[in-house]
Amino acid sequence: MSQTPLSPTRSASGSHAGRISVIASHTFTQLVRMKVFYFLAVFAVITIGSNFFDLPQHAGPEAAGTNILNSIKSWSVGTMTLFSVVFAIVATALLLPKDVEDRTLYTILAKPVPRLDYLAGKLLGVILLVFVSLALMDGLMTAVLQIRSSMILSAQMELAHSRGWSAPEIASMRNDIVSQGPNISLQAAVFVVFLRASIMASLALLISTFSTSTLFTSIISFMIYFIGHFQADARGVFLEAGAGWMTRAIALLVALVLPDFHLFNEFDAVIQGQAFPPMLLGQITGIGLFYAVFYVIASWFIFAEKEF
Amino acid sequence: MAEVTPAVEICDLVKDFKTSFRRQMLRAVGGVSIRIEPGEVYGLIGPNGSGKSTTMKALLGLVAPTSGRCAIFGQDSLRVDSRREVGFLPENPYFYKHLSGAETLRFYGKLCGMRGRILEERVSELLVLVDLENARDRRLGGYSKGMLQRIGLAQALVQDPRLLILDEPTAGVDPMGSRQIRDLIFKLRERGITVFLCSHLLEQVQEVCDRVGIIFQGKMVKEGRLEDLIAIEDQTEIVLRDASPELIARITALVAANPETELVRSGKPRTTLERLFLRETQRDAP
Ligand SMILES: Nc1ncnc2c1ncn2[C@@H]1O[C@H](COP(=O)(O)OP(=O)(O)O)[C@@H](O)[C@H]1O
Ligand SMILES: [Mg+2]
Repeated sequence: MSQTPLSPTRSASGSHAGRISVIASHTFTQLVRMKVFYFLAVFAVITIGSNFFDLPQHAGPEAAGTNILNSIKSWSVGTMTLFSVVFAIVATALLLPKDVEDRTLYTILAKPVPRLDYLAGKLLGVILLVFVSLALMDGLMTAVLQIRSSMILSAQMELAHSRGWSAPEIASMRNDIVSQGPNISLQAAVFVVFLRASIMASLALLISTFSTSTLFTSIISFMIYFIGHFQADARGVFLEAGAGWMTRAIALLVALVLPDFHLFNEFDAVIQGQAFPPMLLGQITGIGLFYAVFYVIASWFIFAEKEF
Repeated sequence: MAEVTPAVEICDLVKDFKTSFRRQMLRAVGGVSIRIEPGEVYGLIGPNGSGKSTTMKALLGLVAPTSGRCAIFGQDSLRVDSRREVGFLPENPYFYKHLSGAETLRFYGKLCGMRGRILEERVSELLVLVDLENARDRRLGGYSKGMLQRIGLAQALVQDPRLLILDEPTAGVDPMGSRQIRDLIFKLRERGITVFLCSHLLEQVQEVCDRVGIIFQGKMVKEGRLEDLIAIEDQTEIVLRDASPELIARITALVAANPETELVRSGKPRTTLERLFLRETQRDAP
């Protein structure tokens, strides 16, 4: 133990980014050691299993390929959405009360750690885990789609040659299959899933700064998640029926405070094989950032005043 | 010469807590002032619920004072910077169970901005200091209460702070563990570290503290140097080994011959149960 009053260990107290990354990577490790990656095994079963779903529905030999690819995509992306949202909410709702209960929060805040750094670190840790698990799931889905679409392509080519299709017909068939395979639009759709989970993690963070239990935080977060999907429609109906400025202001406030996910559903079309419009992606990213930052700042306001 | 900045300065600290639904306030601390000079070991003693932990939390900025002011080395406790020079061990601490001893210290060291070799050396040094080198890579989930308390102490010391705040450091620890913790506090005092500790176990504090304050229902009842507080001024103790009954008789007669002096008691001094326990367990050790 050094005796010098200004030892190097003392003068350096680190940067915000440094502390946030320490807390984030610790949170990531904590979640990994809670064995959350086991759910990836479930995902693998679903994705590989979806290869064999709805086989009997094949309309004709021409549609056979695209149906299977669609089924793989919708099962995989659906599972990713479910896992990432449940995971983002539950992990965030769990971590903060746990630190308060175990008093580990005291030991962290008793170090020169601003409360905002603590919150940001926890949130980033959860988001990092969501990102890594989505990346792994995406990798698996892409691999399965790649293998399956090339299998289908070669089967269809054989069929086409045996039936003597013309070159343009073959090209269009090939296009159809490729558009259903793994492509950049599908990756964009997975990114949208990630954004939505990140918004939910920030919202759960905000709720857990004033809630007293993990259960309460999770339930409220899930309720807001569902409201987020129909609030745009509700607002439409509401404003249709002749609205004064008061009603408009309230509607706007609701849209501001509760996440509005109506744009997020557009990627259902992507699963059907359509391209993801870049404009829409930009818009969704903007919305995602807005809500995430807004919730973190609100959490900070509450958390800064909190006493333990 | 200018006055030295006190390590701890608490001025008229008042802390009220809201009690659930009714707007009634509960006064946890009612006007406590404490000043601790650098290098001192100060013990705050008082029964459960007397406001010891609340005082410490206010000093660390974990709760905001209703009125009054706290400062560490002259820096107001509400500022994050005031926590650079302080290490804290909360009461009944639980650290992250999934981390090993070394990982725990590394985590807290990094939070203080330490990195690389300096951090690694510090971690090893602290594990030796608190006698946990053998448990270095074991997860904290498997640590005993005494080990947790010691890793907590190491964690508090990680950035080599000049002030250490310990909330009930020996509560719930067996006599041997609590002996170890007290020895550590002695070592730290030798190194010039200021220690502010609190306890409801009066005997355990007695040995290590230079100065004590007695707090009761949020108010400081008595404060002063330990010797001054516990010495019985008009009595003197003589402890003899292998004294023959004749010698005792002569001494008693001598005292009886002296009219100003009164023999209060004589007999065998009792060891404390704690000392007995330590002696017996030491003997059994290989
Ligand atoms: N966060 C809190 N909310 C409400 N009351 C509290 C809170 N913390 C402590 N108290 C109350 O303040 C009083 C003093 O508590 P504390 O400082 O923990 O005592 P000690 O550490 O001396 O045992 C107790 O009556 C306790 O119930
Ligand atoms: Mg206490």
